[in-house]
Amino acid sequence: MLDLGIFLHGFGPRYDLPAPLFFYIFAAGGVVVISFVLVILFVGDQVGAKALQYPRRAAPLLLPVARSPWPRALGGTIGLLGLLAVIVSGLFGSSNPAVNPAEYLTWIYFWAGLVILSGLVGNLWYLLNPWAAVYDFATRFVRLGPVWKLPNVGVWPASAFYFSFACLELTSGVANQPHVVAIAAIAYSAVTLVGMILFGRDEWLENCEAFTVLFGIVGRFGPIESERDDRGAVSAVYVRPWGVGLLKPAPSGWNRVFFVILMLSTLAFDGILGTPAWQDFNITLEPIWLPMGQFGFFLVKTTGLILVTFGFLLVFIAFIEAVIFFGNRKVDLATTATGFAYTLVPIALVYNMAHNYSYVMVQSQVLIPLLNDPLQKGWHLWPAVVGLQPSFALAQASTIWFAQIVLIVIGHVIAVYLSHLRAGERFRTAQKALLSQYPMLVLMVTYTMTSLLILAQQTTKTG
Amino acid sequence: MSRSRIFIVAIVIVVFAAVGAYLLFGNNRRTPQNVPFDVTVTDGKTMQPSELKVNQNDTVTINITSNMDGEVHLHGYDIAFDTKAGQVVSHTFEATISGGPFDIEWESTSAHLGDLIVNP
Repeated sequence: MLDLGIFLHGFGPRYDLPAPLFFYIFAAGGVVVISFVLVILFVGDQVGAKALQYPRRAAPLLLPVARSPWPRALGGTIGLLGLLAVIVSGLFGSSNPAVNPAEYLTWIYFWAGLVILSGLVGNLWYLLNPWAAVYDFATRFVRLGPVWKLPNVGVWPASAFYFSFACLELTSGVANQPHVVAIAAIAYSAVTLVGMILFGRDEWLENCEAFTVLFGIVGRFGPIESERDDRGAVSAVYVRPWGVGLLKPAPSGWNRVFFVILMLSTLAFDGILGTPAWQDFNITLEPIWLPMGQFGFFLVKTTGLILVTFGFLLVFIAFIEAVIFFGNRKVDLATTATGFAYTLVPIALVYNMAHNYSYVMVQSQVLIPLLNDPLQKGWHLWPAVVGLQPSFALAQASTIWFAQIVLIVIGHVIAVYLSHLRAGERFRTAQKALLSQYPMLVLMVTYTMTSLLILAQQTTKTG
Repeated sequence: MSRSRIFIVAIVIVVFAAVGAYLLFGNNRRTPQNVPFDVTVTDGKTMQPSELKVNQNDTVTINITSNMDGEVHLHGYDIAFDTKAGQVVSHTFEATISGGPFDIEWESTSAHLGDLIVNP
Protein backbone atom coordinates (compact mmCIF):
# COMPACT_ATOMS: atom_id res chain seq x y z
CA MET A 1 0.00 0.00 0.00
CA LEU A 2 1.28 3.42 -0.90
CA ASP A 3 1.22 5.17 2.43
CA LEU A 4 0.68 8.87 2.52
CA GLY A 5 3.25 10.42 4.79
CA ILE A 6 2.70 13.98 5.94
CA PHE A 7 -0.60 15.74 5.54
CA LEU A 8 -0.04 19.46 5.78
CA HIS A 9 -1.90 19.98 2.51
CA GLY A 10 -5.61 19.01 2.48
CA PHE A 11 -4.55 15.41 2.28
CA GLY A 12 -1.77 13.23 0.94
CA PRO A 13 1.72 13.86 -0.39
CA ARG A 14 2.82 15.19 -3.76
CA TYR A 15 5.73 13.56 -5.51
CA ASP A 16 6.60 16.71 -7.45
CA LEU A 17 10.27 17.47 -7.71
CA PRO A 18 10.81 21.20 -8.20
CA ALA A 19 11.52 21.93 -11.86
CA PRO A 20 15.21 22.58 -12.63
CA LEU A 21 16.27 26.21 -12.99
CA PHE A 22 17.03 26.00 -16.73
CA PHE A 23 13.54 24.73 -17.41
CA TYR A 24 11.92 27.44 -15.32
CA ILE A 25 13.90 30.08 -17.22
CA PHE A 26 12.91 28.49 -20.52
CA ALA A 27 9.20 28.51 -19.56
CA ALA A 28 9.35 32.06 -18.24
CA GLY A 29 11.10 33.25 -21.41
CA GLY A 30 8.49 31.44 -23.51
CA VAL A 31 5.69 33.26 -21.68
CA VAL A 32 7.28 36.66 -22.39
CA VAL A 33 8.00 35.89 -26.07
CA ILE A 34 4.51 34.51 -26.69
CA SER A 35 2.98 37.55 -24.98
CA PHE A 36 4.77 39.85 -27.40
CA VAL A 37 3.73 37.72 -30.38
CA LEU A 38 0.13 38.00 -29.22
CA VAL A 39 0.30 41.78 -28.81
CA ILE A 40 1.65 42.15 -32.36
CA LEU A 41 -1.05 39.86 -33.73
CA PHE A 42 -3.80 41.75 -31.92
CA VAL A 43 -3.17 45.06 -33.68
CA GLY A 44 -6.23 46.03 -35.73
CA ASP A 45 -8.63 43.50 -34.26
CA GLN A 46 -12.35 44.13 -33.94
CA VAL A 47 -13.77 46.39 -31.24
CA GLY A 48 -17.10 47.09 -29.57
CA ALA A 49 -19.73 44.36 -29.18
CA LYS A 50 -18.24 42.51 -32.19
CA ALA A 51 -15.05 41.91 -30.23
CA LEU A 52 -16.85 39.38 -28.06
CA GLN A 53 -18.26 37.34 -30.94
CA TYR A 54 -16.53 33.99 -30.92
CA PRO A 55 -16.89 30.99 -33.22
CA ARG A 56 -19.14 28.16 -32.10
CA ARG A 57 -20.64 25.19 -33.86
CA ALA A 58 -24.07 23.67 -33.27
CA ALA A 59 -23.90 20.15 -31.87
CA PRO A 60 -27.33 18.65 -32.65
CA LEU A 61 -26.15 15.24 -31.49
CA LEU A 62 -25.85 16.59 -27.94
CA LEU A 63 -29.33 18.18 -27.95
CA PRO A 64 -31.31 15.03 -27.04
CA VAL A 65 -28.86 14.37 -24.19
CA ALA A 66 -29.19 17.95 -22.91
CA ARG A 67 -33.00 17.75 -23.06
CA SER A 68 -33.21 14.35 -21.43
CA PRO A 69 -33.82 14.22 -17.68
CA TRP A 70 -31.53 11.18 -17.38
CA PRO A 71 -28.11 12.87 -17.21
CA ARG A 72 -29.24 14.91 -14.21
CA ALA A 73 -30.93 11.89 -12.61
CA LEU A 74 -27.79 9.81 -13.10
CA GLY A 75 -25.45 12.66 -12.10
CA GLY A 76 -27.53 13.49 -9.03
CA THR A 77 -27.49 9.82 -7.98
CA ILE A 78 -23.70 9.65 -8.38
CA GLY A 79 -23.29 12.94 -6.48
CA LEU A 80 -25.56 11.76 -3.66
CA LEU A 81 -23.82 8.38 -3.41
CA GLY A 82 -20.48 10.20 -3.30
CA LEU A 83 -21.71 12.48 -0.50
CA LEU A 84 -23.09 9.52 1.46
CA ALA A 85 -19.83 7.62 0.95
CA VAL A 86 -17.88 10.58 2.39
CA ILE A 87 -20.21 10.80 5.40
CA VAL A 88 -20.39 7.06 6.12
CA SER A 89 -16.70 6.28 5.61
CA GLY A 90 -15.69 9.49 7.39
CA LEU A 91 -17.77 8.64 10.47
CA PHE A 92 -17.45 4.86 10.56
CA GLY A 93 -14.23 4.12 8.66
CA SER A 94 -10.62 4.19 9.77
CA SER A 95 -9.21 7.28 11.45
CA ASN A 96 -6.09 6.77 9.31
CA PRO A 97 -6.68 9.08 6.31
CA ALA A 98 -4.46 6.94 4.07
CA VAL A 99 -7.03 4.14 4.15
CA ASN A 100 -10.23 6.17 4.39
CA PRO A 101 -12.16 6.74 1.12
CA ALA A 102 -13.69 9.98 2.52
CA GLU A 103 -10.32 11.70 2.13
CA TYR A 104 -9.76 10.52 -1.44
CA LEU A 105 -13.32 11.34 -2.54
CA THR A 106 -13.25 14.82 -1.01
CA TRP A 107 -9.76 16.10 -1.69
CA ILE A 108 -8.70 14.23 -4.81
CA TYR A 109 -11.80 13.20 -6.76
CA PHE A 110 -14.05 16.15 -5.87
CA TRP A 111 -11.76 19.05 -5.05
CA ALA A 112 -8.81 18.50 -7.39
CA GLY A 113 -10.27 16.20 -10.04
CA LEU A 114 -13.77 17.60 -10.60
CA VAL A 115 -12.56 21.19 -10.93
CA ILE A 116 -10.03 20.13 -13.59
CA LEU A 117 -12.58 17.98 -15.41
CA SER A 118 -15.20 20.74 -15.35
CA GLY A 119 -12.71 23.12 -16.93
CA LEU A 120 -12.06 20.60 -19.67
CA VAL A 121 -15.63 19.51 -20.47
CA GLY A 122 -18.06 21.92 -18.79
CA ASN A 123 -19.97 22.43 -15.56
CA LEU A 124 -20.26 18.88 -14.20
CA TRP A 125 -21.43 20.15 -10.81
CA TYR A 126 -24.72 21.10 -12.50
CA LEU A 127 -25.28 17.37 -12.99
CA LEU A 128 -23.67 16.06 -9.80
CA ASN A 129 -24.89 18.53 -7.14
CA PRO A 130 -26.34 16.14 -4.53
CA TRP A 131 -28.33 18.80 -2.65
CA ALA A 132 -30.08 20.00 -5.82
CA ALA A 133 -30.83 16.34 -6.62
CA VAL A 134 -32.35 15.74 -3.17
CA TYR A 135 -34.39 18.93 -3.39
CA ASP A 136 -35.65 18.12 -6.89
CA PHE A 137 -36.57 14.59 -5.84
CA ALA A 138 -38.40 15.87 -2.75
CA THR A 139 -40.43 18.39 -4.78
CA ARG A 140 -41.98 15.48 -6.66
CA PHE A 141 -43.83 14.62 -3.46
CA VAL A 142 -43.87 17.78 -1.36
CA ARG A 143 -44.38 21.39 -2.33
CA LEU A 144 -41.31 23.36 -1.21
CA GLY A 145 -41.93 27.03 -1.75
CA PRO A 146 -39.59 29.72 -0.48
CA VAL A 147 -40.56 31.04 2.92
CA TRP A 148 -38.55 34.25 2.70
CA LYS A 149 -37.12 36.30 -0.08
CA LEU A 150 -33.33 36.25 -0.19
CA PRO A 151 -32.00 39.79 0.31
CA ASN A 152 -29.83 41.24 -2.44
CA VAL A 153 -26.60 39.73 -1.15
CA GLY A 154 -24.92 38.82 -4.43
CA VAL A 155 -22.47 35.95 -4.08
CA TRP A 156 -21.02 37.22 -0.77
CA PRO A 157 -22.50 34.24 1.13
CA ALA A 158 -20.97 31.86 -1.43
CA SER A 159 -17.63 33.65 -0.93
CA ALA A 160 -17.92 33.13 2.83
CA PHE A 161 -18.66 29.40 2.41
CA TYR A 162 -15.87 29.06 -0.15
CA PHE A 163 -13.43 30.79 2.20
CA SER A 164 -14.49 28.45 5.02
CA PHE A 165 -13.92 25.43 2.77
CA ALA A 166 -10.48 26.77 1.79
CA CYS A 167 -9.68 27.18 5.49
CA LEU A 168 -10.75 23.59 6.15
CA GLU A 169 -8.46 22.41 3.38
CA LEU A 170 -5.45 24.65 3.84
CA THR A 171 -5.34 26.25 7.27
CA SER A 172 -7.30 24.13 9.74
CA GLY A 173 -4.76 21.30 10.00
CA VAL A 174 -7.66 18.85 10.43
CA ALA A 175 -8.51 18.19 6.76
CA ASN A 176 -6.79 14.82 7.10
CA GLN A 177 -9.18 13.70 9.84
CA PRO A 178 -11.95 11.72 8.13
CA HIS A 179 -14.56 12.36 10.84
CA VAL A 180 -14.02 16.12 10.52
CA VAL A 181 -14.55 15.90 6.76
CA ALA A 182 -17.75 13.89 7.35
CA ILE A 183 -19.09 16.33 9.95
CA ALA A 184 -18.31 19.28 7.65
CA ALA A 185 -20.18 17.49 4.83
CA ILE A 186 -23.21 16.91 7.09
CA ALA A 187 -23.23 20.50 8.33
CA TYR A 188 -22.90 21.99 4.84
CA SER A 189 -25.59 19.62 3.52
CA ALA A 190 -27.96 20.75 6.26
CA VAL A 191 -27.27 24.44 5.65
CA THR A 192 -27.72 24.05 1.89
CA LEU A 193 -30.94 22.04 2.09
CA VAL A 194 -32.47 24.38 4.70
CA GLY A 195 -31.31 27.39 2.66
CA MET A 196 -32.99 26.07 -0.49
CA ILE A 197 -36.21 25.37 1.39
CA LEU A 198 -36.31 28.77 3.10
CA PHE A 199 -35.09 31.01 0.29
CA GLY A 200 -35.81 29.04 -2.88
CA ARG A 201 -33.71 26.48 -4.73
CA ASP A 202 -32.11 28.61 -7.45
CA GLU A 203 -31.76 31.74 -5.30
CA TRP A 204 -29.78 29.81 -2.69
CA LEU A 205 -27.68 27.83 -5.17
CA GLU A 206 -26.76 30.84 -7.30
CA ASN A 207 -25.92 33.19 -4.44
CA CYS A 208 -24.99 31.12 -1.42
CA GLU A 209 -23.87 27.65 -2.52
CA ALA A 210 -20.11 28.01 -2.95
CA PHE A 211 -19.61 25.09 -5.32
CA THR A 212 -22.46 26.10 -7.65
CA VAL A 213 -20.88 29.55 -8.01
CA LEU A 214 -17.38 28.10 -8.35
CA PHE A 215 -18.23 25.45 -10.92
CA GLY A 216 -20.43 27.97 -12.74
CA ILE A 217 -17.30 30.08 -13.34
CA VAL A 218 -15.07 27.09 -14.11
CA GLY A 219 -17.72 25.68 -16.46
CA ARG A 220 -17.70 28.90 -18.46
CA PHE A 221 -14.17 27.97 -19.47
CA GLY A 222 -15.45 24.65 -20.85
CA PRO A 223 -16.25 23.95 -24.52
CA ILE A 224 -19.99 23.19 -24.22
CA GLU A 225 -22.63 25.92 -24.44
CA SER A 226 -26.40 25.61 -24.31
CA GLU A 227 -29.25 27.99 -25.03
CA ARG A 228 -32.69 27.89 -23.49
CA ASP A 229 -36.06 29.00 -24.83
CA ASP A 230 -38.66 31.13 -23.00
CA ARG A 231 -39.93 28.10 -21.07
CA GLY A 232 -36.44 27.32 -19.83
CA ALA A 233 -36.02 24.21 -22.00
CA VAL A 234 -32.70 23.64 -23.77
CA SER A 235 -33.18 24.77 -27.38
CA ALA A 236 -29.65 24.40 -28.77
CA VAL A 237 -26.25 23.03 -27.81
CA TYR A 238 -22.96 24.34 -29.21
CA VAL A 239 -19.29 23.50 -28.94
CA ARG A 240 -16.90 26.45 -28.63
CA PRO A 241 -13.17 26.98 -28.08
CA TRP A 242 -11.98 26.62 -24.49
CA GLY A 243 -12.08 29.85 -22.53
CA VAL A 244 -14.32 32.02 -24.70
CA GLY A 245 -17.37 31.28 -22.53
CA LEU A 246 -15.76 33.58 -19.95
CA LEU A 247 -16.64 36.49 -22.26
CA LYS A 248 -20.38 35.74 -22.18
CA PRO A 249 -22.55 38.29 -20.38
CA ALA A 250 -22.56 37.61 -16.65
CA PRO A 251 -23.70 39.39 -13.50
CA SER A 252 -21.13 41.94 -12.46
CA GLY A 253 -20.19 43.63 -9.19
CA TRP A 254 -17.54 43.61 -6.50
CA ASN A 255 -19.01 40.45 -5.00
CA ARG A 256 -18.20 38.60 -8.27
CA VAL A 257 -14.74 40.16 -8.47
CA PHE A 258 -14.04 39.09 -4.89
CA PHE A 259 -15.15 35.51 -5.58
CA VAL A 260 -12.84 35.22 -8.60
CA ILE A 261 -9.93 36.74 -6.66
CA LEU A 262 -10.65 34.29 -3.83
CA MET A 263 -10.40 31.45 -6.36
CA LEU A 264 -7.02 32.74 -7.47
CA SER A 265 -5.68 33.45 -3.99
CA THR A 266 -6.69 30.11 -2.45
CA LEU A 267 -5.08 28.25 -5.34
CA ALA A 268 -1.92 30.31 -5.06
CA PHE A 269 -1.85 29.93 -1.27
CA ASP A 270 -1.96 26.15 -1.62
CA GLY A 271 1.26 26.42 -3.62
CA ILE A 272 2.77 29.16 -1.45
CA LEU A 273 2.54 26.87 1.60
CA GLY A 274 5.25 24.74 0.00
CA THR A 275 7.71 27.53 -0.71
CA PRO A 276 10.77 28.54 1.33
CA ALA A 277 9.29 32.06 1.60
CA TRP A 278 6.33 30.69 3.55
CA GLN A 279 8.62 28.59 5.75
CA ASP A 280 10.58 31.76 6.59
CA PHE A 281 7.36 33.70 7.33
CA ASN A 282 6.20 30.84 9.53
CA ILE A 283 9.48 30.62 11.44
CA THR A 284 9.59 34.39 11.98
CA LEU A 285 6.14 34.31 13.57
CA GLU A 286 6.84 31.19 15.64
CA PRO A 287 7.22 33.07 18.95
CA ILE A 288 3.65 34.34 18.51
CA TRP A 289 1.83 31.24 17.29
CA LEU A 290 3.79 28.37 18.84
CA PRO A 291 2.52 28.92 22.43
CA MET A 292 -1.07 28.72 21.13
CA GLY A 293 -0.55 25.18 19.80
CA GLN A 294 -2.93 23.91 17.12
CA PHE A 295 -4.96 27.13 17.19
CA GLY A 296 -1.81 29.18 16.59
CA PHE A 297 -1.03 27.00 13.60
CA PHE A 298 -4.53 27.69 12.24
CA LEU A 299 -4.26 31.38 13.05
CA VAL A 300 -1.00 32.01 11.24
CA LYS A 301 -2.11 30.12 8.13
CA THR A 302 -5.53 31.79 8.03
CA THR A 303 -3.87 35.18 8.45
CA GLY A 304 -1.58 34.27 5.54
CA LEU A 305 -4.57 33.29 3.37
CA ILE A 306 -6.40 36.55 4.20
CA LEU A 307 -3.26 38.61 3.47
CA VAL A 308 -2.70 36.86 0.14
CA THR A 309 -6.39 37.35 -0.81
CA PHE A 310 -6.41 41.06 -0.03
CA GLY A 311 -2.97 41.45 -1.60
CA PHE A 312 -4.29 39.90 -4.80
CA LEU A 313 -7.40 42.09 -4.65
CA LEU A 314 -5.44 45.33 -4.18
CA VAL A 315 -3.00 44.48 -6.97
CA PHE A 316 -5.89 43.58 -9.28
CA ILE A 317 -7.79 46.81 -8.55
CA ALA A 318 -4.61 48.87 -9.09
CA PHE A 319 -4.06 47.23 -12.47
CA ILE A 320 -7.70 47.69 -13.50
CA GLU A 321 -7.39 51.39 -12.65
CA ALA A 322 -4.35 51.48 -14.94
CA VAL A 323 -6.24 49.61 -17.66
CA ILE A 324 -9.07 52.16 -17.49
CA PHE A 325 -6.58 55.05 -17.45
CA PHE A 326 -4.86 53.83 -20.61
CA GLY A 327 -8.18 52.84 -22.20
CA ASN A 328 -9.11 56.51 -21.82
CA ARG A 329 -12.87 55.99 -21.85
CA LYS A 330 -15.42 56.52 -19.09
CA VAL A 331 -16.46 53.05 -17.96
CA ASP A 332 -17.97 51.63 -14.80
CA LEU A 333 -15.17 50.34 -12.56
CA ALA A 334 -17.09 47.37 -11.05
CA THR A 335 -18.38 46.15 -14.44
CA THR A 336 -14.96 46.53 -16.04
CA ALA A 337 -13.22 44.84 -13.10
CA THR A 338 -15.66 41.90 -13.28
CA GLY A 339 -15.11 41.49 -17.02
CA PHE A 340 -11.34 41.46 -16.65
CA ALA A 341 -11.43 39.27 -13.52
CA TYR A 342 -12.97 36.47 -15.57
CA THR A 343 -10.09 36.72 -18.05
CA LEU A 344 -7.71 35.66 -15.25
CA VAL A 345 -9.63 32.41 -14.73
CA PRO A 346 -7.70 30.47 -17.45
CA ILE A 347 -4.38 31.18 -15.71
CA ALA A 348 -5.84 30.00 -12.40
CA LEU A 349 -7.37 26.93 -13.96
CA VAL A 350 -4.21 25.77 -15.74
CA TYR A 351 -2.20 26.48 -12.61
CA ASN A 352 -4.65 24.26 -10.73
CA MET A 353 -4.18 21.54 -13.35
CA ALA A 354 -0.38 21.88 -13.26
CA HIS A 355 -0.22 22.01 -9.45
CA ASN A 356 -2.46 18.97 -9.00
CA TYR A 357 -1.34 16.96 -12.03
CA SER A 358 0.76 14.28 -10.31
CA TYR A 359 -1.37 14.41 -7.16
CA VAL A 360 -4.50 13.45 -9.11
CA MET A 361 -2.69 11.02 -11.41
CA VAL A 362 -1.08 9.01 -8.61
CA GLN A 363 -3.24 9.44 -5.51
CA SER A 364 -6.55 8.84 -7.30
CA GLN A 365 -5.40 5.27 -7.94
CA VAL A 366 -4.92 4.58 -4.23
CA LEU A 367 -8.71 4.61 -3.68
CA ILE A 368 -9.20 1.49 -5.81
CA PRO A 369 -7.62 -1.10 -3.46
CA LEU A 370 -9.61 0.44 -0.60
CA LEU A 371 -12.88 -0.58 -2.26
CA ASN A 372 -12.29 -4.13 -1.02
CA ASP A 373 -12.74 -2.97 2.56
CA PRO A 374 -13.73 0.71 2.58
CA LEU A 375 -14.47 0.93 6.30
CA GLN A 376 -11.50 -1.25 7.36
CA LYS A 377 -13.78 -3.79 9.01
CA GLY A 378 -12.11 -6.88 7.57
CA TRP A 379 -14.51 -7.16 4.62
CA HIS A 380 -13.60 -8.76 1.29
CA LEU A 381 -15.92 -6.98 -1.12
CA TRP A 382 -13.53 -6.93 -4.09
CA PRO A 383 -10.42 -9.04 -3.40
CA ALA A 384 -9.15 -8.67 -6.98
CA VAL A 385 -8.11 -5.03 -6.40
CA VAL A 386 -6.33 -5.46 -3.06
CA GLY A 387 -2.78 -5.70 -4.41
CA LEU A 388 -3.16 -2.94 -6.97
CA GLN A 389 -0.17 -0.58 -6.93
CA PRO A 390 -0.43 2.97 -8.29
CA SER A 391 1.17 3.40 -11.68
CA PHE A 392 3.58 6.31 -12.14
CA ALA A 393 3.51 5.89 -15.92
CA LEU A 394 2.06 9.39 -16.46
CA ALA A 395 3.68 10.93 -13.40
CA GLN A 396 7.42 10.62 -14.05
CA ALA A 397 9.20 13.86 -13.09
CA SER A 398 10.00 14.88 -16.68
CA THR A 399 6.43 14.21 -17.81
CA ILE A 400 5.07 16.28 -14.93
CA TRP A 401 7.36 19.22 -15.73
CA PHE A 402 6.49 19.07 -19.41
CA ALA A 403 2.74 18.91 -18.74
CA GLN A 404 3.06 21.79 -16.27
CA ILE A 405 4.80 24.25 -18.56
CA VAL A 406 2.68 23.44 -21.62
CA LEU A 407 -0.49 23.88 -19.56
CA ILE A 408 0.78 27.14 -18.02
CA VAL A 409 1.66 28.60 -21.42
CA ILE A 410 -1.64 27.58 -23.05
CA GLY A 411 -3.59 29.09 -20.14
CA HIS A 412 -1.57 32.28 -20.41
CA VAL A 413 -2.27 32.57 -24.15
CA ILE A 414 -6.01 32.06 -23.63
CA ALA A 415 -6.08 34.63 -20.82
CA VAL A 416 -4.19 37.28 -22.79
CA TYR A 417 -6.46 36.72 -25.78
CA LEU A 418 -9.66 36.98 -23.71
CA SER A 419 -8.39 40.11 -22.01
CA HIS A 420 -7.65 41.65 -25.40
CA LEU A 421 -11.21 40.92 -26.59
CA ARG A 422 -12.65 42.34 -23.39
CA ALA A 423 -10.58 45.50 -23.88
CA GLY A 424 -11.93 45.80 -27.43
CA GLU A 425 -15.46 45.61 -26.10
CA ARG A 426 -14.84 48.05 -23.26
CA PHE A 427 -12.72 50.74 -24.91
CA ARG A 428 -14.23 50.74 -28.41
CA THR A 429 -11.20 51.76 -30.49
CA ALA A 430 -8.34 49.47 -31.48
CA GLN A 431 -5.71 51.94 -30.29
CA LYS A 432 -7.28 52.45 -26.86
CA ALA A 433 -7.87 48.73 -26.49
CA LEU A 434 -4.25 47.95 -27.30
CA LEU A 435 -2.94 50.65 -24.99
CA SER A 436 -5.15 49.46 -22.14
CA GLN A 437 -3.75 45.98 -22.53
CA TYR A 438 -0.20 46.78 -21.51
CA PRO A 439 -0.94 46.92 -17.77
CA MET A 440 -3.14 43.83 -18.09
CA LEU A 441 -0.34 42.02 -19.90
CA VAL A 442 2.08 42.95 -17.11
CA LEU A 443 -0.41 41.59 -14.55
CA MET A 444 -0.89 38.35 -16.47
CA VAL A 445 2.84 37.81 -17.07
CA THR A 446 3.43 38.47 -13.35
CA TYR A 447 0.68 36.05 -12.37
CA THR A 448 1.94 33.36 -14.74
CA MET A 449 5.53 33.86 -13.56
CA THR A 450 4.32 33.53 -9.96
CA SER A 451 2.61 30.25 -10.90
CA LEU A 452 5.83 28.99 -12.50
CA LEU A 453 7.90 30.15 -9.53
CA ILE A 454 5.64 28.32 -7.08
CA LEU A 455 5.75 25.17 -9.22
CA ALA A 456 9.54 25.39 -9.38
CA GLN A 457 9.81 25.75 -5.61
CA GLN A 458 7.11 23.56 -4.18
CA THR A 459 8.14 20.63 -2.06
CA THR A 460 6.37 17.47 -1.05
CA LYS A 461 6.53 18.19 2.64
CA THR A 462 4.17 21.08 2.66
CA GLY A 463 2.77 21.41 -0.83
CA MET B 1 -8.71 36.65 -34.46
CA SER B 2 -8.35 35.52 -38.08
CA ARG B 3 -7.44 31.95 -39.03
CA SER B 4 -3.94 32.92 -40.14
CA ARG B 5 -3.22 34.56 -36.78
CA ILE B 6 -4.60 31.56 -34.87
CA PHE B 7 -2.26 29.45 -37.02
CA ILE B 8 0.73 31.61 -36.03
CA VAL B 9 -0.15 31.32 -32.32
CA ALA B 10 -0.55 27.55 -32.68
CA ILE B 11 2.86 27.30 -34.41
CA VAL B 12 4.53 29.34 -31.65
CA ILE B 13 3.01 27.10 -28.96
CA VAL B 14 3.99 23.91 -30.82
CA VAL B 15 7.58 25.16 -31.26
CA PHE B 16 7.69 26.06 -27.55
CA ALA B 17 6.40 22.60 -26.59
CA ALA B 18 8.81 20.87 -28.98
CA VAL B 19 11.85 22.73 -27.62
CA GLY B 20 10.65 21.99 -24.08
CA ALA B 21 10.25 18.31 -24.92
CA TYR B 22 13.75 18.21 -26.43
CA LEU B 23 15.25 19.90 -23.36
CA LEU B 24 13.55 17.43 -21.03
CA PHE B 25 13.52 14.18 -22.92
CA GLY B 26 16.25 14.60 -25.56
CA ASN B 27 19.33 14.84 -23.36
CA ASN B 28 18.82 11.73 -21.32
CA ARG B 29 21.77 9.56 -22.36
CA ARG B 30 23.26 8.93 -18.94
CA THR B 31 24.61 5.42 -18.30
CA PRO B 32 22.86 3.82 -15.33
CA GLN B 33 25.11 3.29 -12.30
CA ASN B 34 25.13 0.94 -9.33
CA VAL B 35 24.56 3.15 -6.29
CA PRO B 36 24.92 1.65 -2.80
CA PHE B 37 23.86 3.44 0.41
CA ASP B 38 24.82 2.37 3.93
CA VAL B 39 22.18 3.83 6.18
CA THR B 40 21.93 3.85 9.98
CA VAL B 41 18.56 4.21 11.69
CA THR B 42 18.54 5.21 15.35
CA ASP B 43 15.61 4.60 17.74
CA GLY B 44 13.14 4.57 14.82
CA LYS B 45 13.46 8.36 14.72
CA THR B 46 16.48 9.42 12.69
CA MET B 47 18.42 8.16 9.70
CA GLN B 48 21.97 8.90 8.54
CA PRO B 49 22.31 9.96 5.76
CA SER B 50 18.75 11.28 5.59
CA GLU B 51 18.66 12.18 1.90
CA LEU B 52 19.47 9.58 -0.77
CA LYS B 53 19.86 11.00 -4.29
CA VAL B 54 20.09 8.85 -7.42
CA ASN B 55 19.38 9.16 -11.12
CA GLN B 56 16.55 7.39 -12.89
CA ASN B 57 17.34 3.80 -13.93
CA ASP B 58 20.28 3.54 -11.51
CA THR B 59 20.45 0.26 -9.62
CA VAL B 60 20.11 1.26 -5.99
CA THR B 61 21.13 -0.85 -3.03
CA ILE B 62 20.09 0.37 0.41
CA ASN B 63 21.74 -1.35 3.38
CA ILE B 64 19.98 -0.41 6.61
CA THR B 65 21.34 -0.97 10.10
CA SER B 66 18.91 -0.18 12.92
CA ASN B 67 19.33 -0.38 16.69
CA MET B 68 15.69 -1.53 16.98
CA ASP B 69 13.47 -4.21 15.45
CA GLY B 70 10.80 -2.79 13.14
CA GLU B 71 9.93 -1.85 9.59
CA VAL B 72 11.52 0.92 7.57
CA HIS B 73 9.29 1.67 4.58
CA LEU B 74 10.27 3.37 1.34
CA HIS B 75 7.06 4.88 -0.02
CA GLY B 76 6.40 5.35 -3.71
CA TYR B 77 8.58 2.32 -4.42
CA ASP B 78 6.70 0.45 -1.69
CA ILE B 79 9.70 -1.43 -0.30
CA ALA B 80 9.70 -2.71 3.30
CA PHE B 81 12.94 -3.27 5.22
CA ASP B 82 12.24 -5.58 8.18
CA THR B 83 15.04 -4.56 10.49
CA LYS B 84 16.51 -6.61 13.34
CA ALA B 85 18.54 -4.73 15.96
CA GLY B 86 22.18 -4.62 14.96
CA GLN B 87 21.73 -6.54 11.69
CA VAL B 88 22.07 -5.20 8.16
CA VAL B 89 18.97 -5.47 5.94
CA SER B 90 19.42 -4.81 2.22
CA HIS B 91 17.21 -4.29 -0.80
CA THR B 92 18.33 -3.71 -4.36
CA PHE B 93 16.01 -2.18 -6.93
CA GLU B 94 16.07 -0.24 -10.16
CA ALA B 95 15.03 3.41 -9.73
CA THR B 96 12.47 3.39 -12.52
CA ILE B 97 10.14 6.04 -11.02
CA SER B 98 11.63 9.52 -11.22
CA GLY B 99 10.51 12.24 -8.86
CA GLY B 100 10.03 12.29 -5.14
CA PRO B 101 10.99 13.05 -2.49
CA PHE B 102 9.79 9.54 -1.68
CA ASP B 103 9.33 9.26 2.08
CA ILE B 104 11.35 6.79 4.10
CA GLU B 105 9.43 6.14 7.32
CA TRP B 106 9.53 4.09 10.49
CA GLU B 107 6.31 2.33 9.60
CA SER B 108 4.79 1.65 13.03
CA THR B 109 4.91 5.31 14.09
CA SER B 110 4.95 6.96 10.61
CA ALA B 111 8.04 8.86 11.81
CA HIS B 112 9.75 10.51 8.86
CA LEU B 113 13.35 9.29 8.66
CA GLY B 114 14.47 10.65 5.29
CA ASP B 115 13.84 10.80 1.55
CA LEU B 116 14.82 9.18 -1.71
CA ILE B 117 15.08 11.61 -4.64
CA VAL B 118 15.25 10.17 -8.15
CA ASN B 119 16.33 12.74 -10.70
CA PRO B 120 15.06 12.09 -14.23
